[in-house]
Amino acid sequence: MIQLFAILLLTAGSEEPTQVEFGRDVQPILSKRCFVCHGPDEGTREARLRLDLPEVVGEEQGVIVPGNPEASELILRITSEYADELMPPPGEEPLTPDEIDILKRWVEQGAEYEGHWAFEPIPETSAPRGAGWVRNEVDGFVLRSMEEAGLEPSIEADRATLIRRLSFDLCGMPPTPAEVGTFVADDRPAAYEELVDRLLATDAYAERMTLAWMDAARYGDTSVHHADGPRDMWPWRDWVIRAYKSNMPFDEFTVEQLAGDLLPEPSNAQLVASGFHRNSPTSDEGGAIDEELRVKYMVDRVKTTGNVWLGLSLECAQCHDHKYDPVSQEDYYRFYAYFNQSVERGFQTRSGNAAPLVMVPTEEQEAELAELDREIQAIEDFFQGATPPLAAFEAWHGRERQALLERDTPELGEWYFTGPFQKGSKKEAYETDHGPEALKIDISAEVAGKRWIERADVDGNIYNLGSTANAAVYLTRTIECERAQTTTISLGSDDSIKVWLNGKEVFANDVGRGVTADQDQATLELPAGESQLLLKIVNGGGPMGYYFKMKGEELPESLVAALKPELSSLDDEARALLLDHFMRNSWEEGVAQVAIQEAAVTRRDEVTQVTATVMIMEDVAEPRMTYVLDRGEYDKPRKDQPVEPGVLEGILPLPEGAPANRLGLAQWLVHPDHPMTARVAVNRYWAMLFGRGLVSSVMDFGSQGELPSHPELLDWLARDFIKSGWDVKRALKQLVMSATYRQVSRADEERLEVDPENELLARASRFRLHGEFLRDQALVASGLLVDEVGGPGVKIYQPEGLWNEVSLDRNLRFSQDHGEKLYRKSMYIYWKRSAPQPAMSTFDTPIRDTCVVQRQRTNTPMQALVTLNDVQFIEAARHLAQRLLLEEEAFNARLDLAFMLLTAHPADELARRVMRETYEAQLPIYQANEDAAVALISAGESARDESLDAAEHATWTVIASMILNLDETLTRE
Amino acid sequence: MTMDPITERSRQVTRRSLLKSGANGLGAMALGSMLGREALAGGISARDVPHFAPKAKRVIYLFMNGAPSQIDLFDYHPKMRELHGIELPESIRQGQRLTTMTSGQSSFPCVAPMFDFKRYGEHQTWVSELLPYTARIVDKITLIKSMNTEAINHDPAITYINTGSQQQGKPSMGAWLSYGLGSMNRDLPDYIVMISRGRGNFQALYSRLWGSGFLPSEHQGVKFRSGKEAVLYLTNPDGIDAGTRRRMLDGIAKINEAKYEETHDAEVQARISQYEMAYRMQTSVPDLMDLSDEPESTFELYGEDARKPGTFAANCVLARRMAERNVRFVQLFHRGWDQHNNLPGEIRDQCRDTDQASAALVRDLEQRGLLEDTLVIWGGEFGRTIYSQGALTENNHGRDHHPRCFTTWMAGAGIREGYEHGETDDFSYNIVRDPVHINDLNATILHQLGIDHQRFTYPYQGLEQRLTGVEEPHVVRELLA
Repeated sequence: MIQLFAILLLTAGSEEPTQVEFGRDVQPILSKRCFVCHGPDEGTREARLRLDLPEVVGEEQGVIVPGNPEASELILRITSEYADELMPPPGEEPLTPDEIDILKRWVEQGAEYEGHWAFEPIPETSAPRGAGWVRNEVDGFVLRSMEEAGLEPSIEADRATLIRRLSFDLCGMPPTPAEVGTFVADDRPAAYEELVDRLLATDAYAERMTLAWMDAARYGDTSVHHADGPRDMWPWRDWVIRAYKSNMPFDEFTVEQLAGDLLPEPSNAQLVASGFHRNSPTSDEGGAIDEELRVKYMVDRVKTTGNVWLGLSLECAQCHDHKYDPVSQEDYYRFYAYFNQSVERGFQTRSGNAAPLVMVPTEEQEAELAELDREIQAIEDFFQGATPPLAAFEAWHGRERQALLERDTPELGEWYFTGPFQKGSKKEAYETDHGPEALKIDISAEVAGKRWIERADVDGNIYNLGSTANAAVYLTRTIECERAQTTTISLGSDDSIKVWLNGKEVFANDVGRGVTADQDQATLELPAGESQLLLKIVNGGGPMGYYFKMKGEELPESLVAALKPELSSLDDEARALLLDHFMRNSWEEGVAQVAIQEAAVTRRDEVTQVTATVMIMEDVAEPRMTYVLDRGEYDKPRKDQPVEPGVLEGILPLPEGAPANRLGLAQWLVHPDHPMTARVAVNRYWAMLFGRGLVSSVMDFGSQGELPSHPELLDWLARDFIKSGWDVKRALKQLVMSATYRQVSRADEERLEVDPENELLARASRFRLHGEFLRDQALVASGLLVDEVGGPGVKIYQPEGLWNEVSLDRNLRFSQDHGEKLYRKSMYIYWKRSAPQPAMSTFDTPIRDTCVVQRQRTNTPMQALVTLNDVQFIEAARHLAQRLLLEEEAFNARLDLAFMLLTAHPADELARRVMRETYEAQLPIYQANEDAAVALISAGESARDESLDAAEHATWTVIASMILNLDETLTRE
Repeated sequence: MTMDPITERSRQVTRRSLLKSGANGLGAMALGSMLGREALAGGISARDVPHFAPKAKRVIYLFMNGAPSQIDLFDYHPKMRELHGIELPESIRQGQRLTTMTSGQSSFPCVAPMFDFKRYGEHQTWVSELLPYTARIVDKITLIKSMNTEAINHDPAITYINTGSQQQGKPSMGAWLSYGLGSMNRDLPDYIVMISRGRGNFQALYSRLWGSGFLPSEHQGVKFRSGKEAVLYLTNPDGIDAGTRRRMLDGIAKINEAKYEETHDAEVQARISQYEMAYRMQTSVPDLMDLSDEPESTFELYGEDARKPGTFAANCVLARRMAERNVRFVQLFHRGWDQHNNLPGEIRDQCRDTDQASAALVRDLEQRGLLEDTLVIWGGEFGRTIYSQGALTENNHGRDHHPRCFTTWMAGAGIREGYEHGETDDFSYNIVRDPVHINDLNATILHQLGIDHQRFTYPYQGLEQRLTGVEEPHVVRELLA
């Protein structure tokens, strides 16, 4: 764009001096050539000169003297003949004569500074009126630019092309032949708009928009770093689908995802939405330093937020002031401070979701849980109002009291703790005696330099014991009883556990697990007198913990206390406690109720066990202090430079009353006066529909980014988007309703010559479909698609061994799904980020370990290999062939159906001739070699119609595969 | 692809839009590179590189994943024998951070290598008994004993050395070279990756290590695998023979050419060419991977392991075959060097699997006249600690991650022969002379390819991105012949 204007400028300039525009002509030169040493970054600034602010202009300073280039140091320096004066200094690339000329003329014309366009408020612009071709405001702006360049709009594309274009752009799916037929036949002017409305109302629309958002949100089904273990974020992805389906306004969409957890009394859905930033890559690496990782996650969140909503890369200000845009290092850490409040740890799990998280039951699960809760409560209510026979209670009391008094319940001493003792591996830590295992324990003596420390743990609870990896800790206590007896202890541990009684090993379980109550039971043969119990807990990675409870005394402590006095001397509270216990345990009617209740509780546990969870955001209760990190390093906080959370005030001050947390940040982003959010969003929609953005650097609206090709149009769209209440469907509809969108994509010689990149929009764009859309198109055409919305990721066909050859410890096998899951829409493909599904990766689906707001579109031989050879595409080809054979009789009718399914057009003469030749050559080959024919039509796991002639079926499979590989099939015209 | 007028014209269009569109006209950029193949074969560069006459045309990077112990292989100090068993002095550790695998250890006993070291070659270079073959090529290589990085754990460290950044999302070195230098052959990818399994503790790999980051994804490394299909999806489906495939491609091309006539879209032309390239790969790749035409002497040189597909030795033979076919960048990842425990046994096995073939590759390239313009690099992502991780026993111990120093070697393409660079203290803990940061190494590799690392940039997100990062790395001129 810059060059295009520069060229126009110079050609015109040969006649008379043209007006130089600061933003269009001057700022890019200053930014690219001068700001590194004379820009916002204080750290690299030379000669205390800043060229990014208007204060530099003035006679006193002499750097830039308006109207007088000869007196301006700036011009003298860039034109100097002396090496020691010349700027940029020798060694750097010199300014071109054109660049020097522009700067000179700018000074001549008064050296007007303007702010960078994207940081300036969005002005109200009115659309140029136009007649004839112009259908809506979009066209008015576009036509004006076209006419200025001497171009005319292209004609409107035919209806078949339009319906296919709309279907892919808005829904990521091809139209059915019936839909094409209806639309082509319907010549009412309203037909187009009705089609658009119909498409925008589909689930497919919501899924298509979600796919783009998944790239931006760096969505994946695994954690990325180190083991790259599984996680469940798909309930968040399904939330996004529902949000697009219901056309949630973009401001709400933003607030709920950035700060759903901070809304007043957030709904479950709002909590799920806040999972946006839990898509961050996380690590579980054994030697990792917790704070280093934690900081890394926060940095990723700042980066993603900047990329997605501001179209800015903030990350360079992590280490130093931004070189080009007004973001100081302190600004960066103020922005970072919003995220730095997250409760999550740096070291996260390699298996499943890490806290904080929320359960996401399905509708059935939700209903069942509610019913079970009701049932459980009803039984509690029953006990509240029950009147058990008093005589039976008194008799029970007498018996129990007597038994208690006669029982010899072992007495447990306090726990003592020592450790951690770290080794090179968990196995080694488990197998090594770090000191106390064989010896008589003396709690006053040290174990390998570590003391025994008393703990006040209460039995029957889970306790955390730190998080040292590959380490063992010990816990010991005394047990005293009058008579020798056998008793049982119930244990839990993270991870492995060993138990000794009086120096003798009595239990061991070498496992990897998180701790819960009652994971193991061990039997203790207690001699009379005092015994010494020793537990060893061994941790592989992550947190470690334990659980302990002694069986034997079945009655809870409070009950034992209540049971000791005589019945007559009981207070009301103790009596109620005993009565309750009696009812539940010894009264027939009560016991029956308890059994029902226990069944309900068990079922409730079963349901919650299989209920999905999703990771969400949550802030610490006490705000965490944020400091500027020296050179961005986690372990070098500048303690003298604490910062409070804060937005980029230079762009827009924080709205009044906005809280000092992520919610405030989100409110700032979607404030109607924010100059960037709406521009960035509508530009992204534009890029989705037109193949490139009005700002072609979709991810960079900063001063190094490209200038908008149609600045007024962009501003008009942005303003309109805000005024409409951030109505996404309306914004998209407005774009596709334009005449600009409806043009043919064919380029004639003149258009190619004048505007090879189609910046002026005098034709439609033409581009290859995303990999997901290509696979989905093949599944639709072949009838294989299982079109369900949402749910966990699916593991489709992929070549063997891809996970294992890169996995930690080489023990991770890809386990392919079967049946319907093989034919789900491609956006649901299980996304393993260390080894993403290769067919999709080949077609530019990003790894999704970092935010991507515009996909690349490459054209490579590896792509040809996928659509020609991947079993998924061959299976689709043979099902398509089967469909052609079953649905049509004549050769040409079959061919037309295939072309209608894949290109929305019937086959033309050339295609008929080529396919006829193919048919005639292939059929005898397959007739002569039935094995080959059967092999081809057996590709994939789905059944084939064996009533069809194998040679005929195989030949049509070849034809179907060819059509699946045509440029027209792979391309959105 | 012959240079017909249409292609010629679309090439010009593409070159023009390439210059104009910067990072943003990605479709066009991709096309540019494809068509650029032809242009580059004629010696024209679309990206202003090489900046000066290159010494290296191609690179073979033997990446030792998991971090081999420099102490047990190269960085020997006789004084270590006296230090064996003593506590690591605070004067050496200087409060430097450790991983959380050993930061809780109450004792840090130093461990001398449990192997013999001898001096080899003209400069009397210390080499471990574990590397008898490498020992015999010390006069052909440069050993850099002062490599260092900041990353202390595998995932960030391996990402750092391969992409110049600890944060994911940046292109790998091979992708940068594919982007910058383009292809020298018509039938194979510019950047090929092969993985061999190794023994012991397997650290993970990630496709981002050979990924293209923000560069067009056609520049990502293409993984070549042992087994029935060397390149994913390379093989025709069962029931499609070569004749059928040819007929299909001819038919597709006819219809696509008509589409080009209609649309004048250069992407259509590009697609026709890419389908042809895919077809050529179906022959060229199996031909490349088939070692049956190798003479017996090859297996004598590289070892019997080279007969077994998927071994490091077999991959070394393949790397040489790729060099012969002018593949720009070949990267072998050999796994299993992460010896936190049982180091003495495991490192012996690892060396047995890699030593002979690594040395053979250098010799073989030399005898074929390829070493003079092929750069060979051997090394991992960081080093290992002098102190034992876990208990030190008479014949067993482990070593933790050590980013402060490690050893890498290079050979060929204008690299000095028989040279040792840098020096560490007697504990192989701190560098005492001539540190070489991983970004310095990468800058030096680029330099040998005729690239000024400072000028080799790609605009992305408002920054001039480069492989060697924003700090000031330096080409290590002492390494150059």
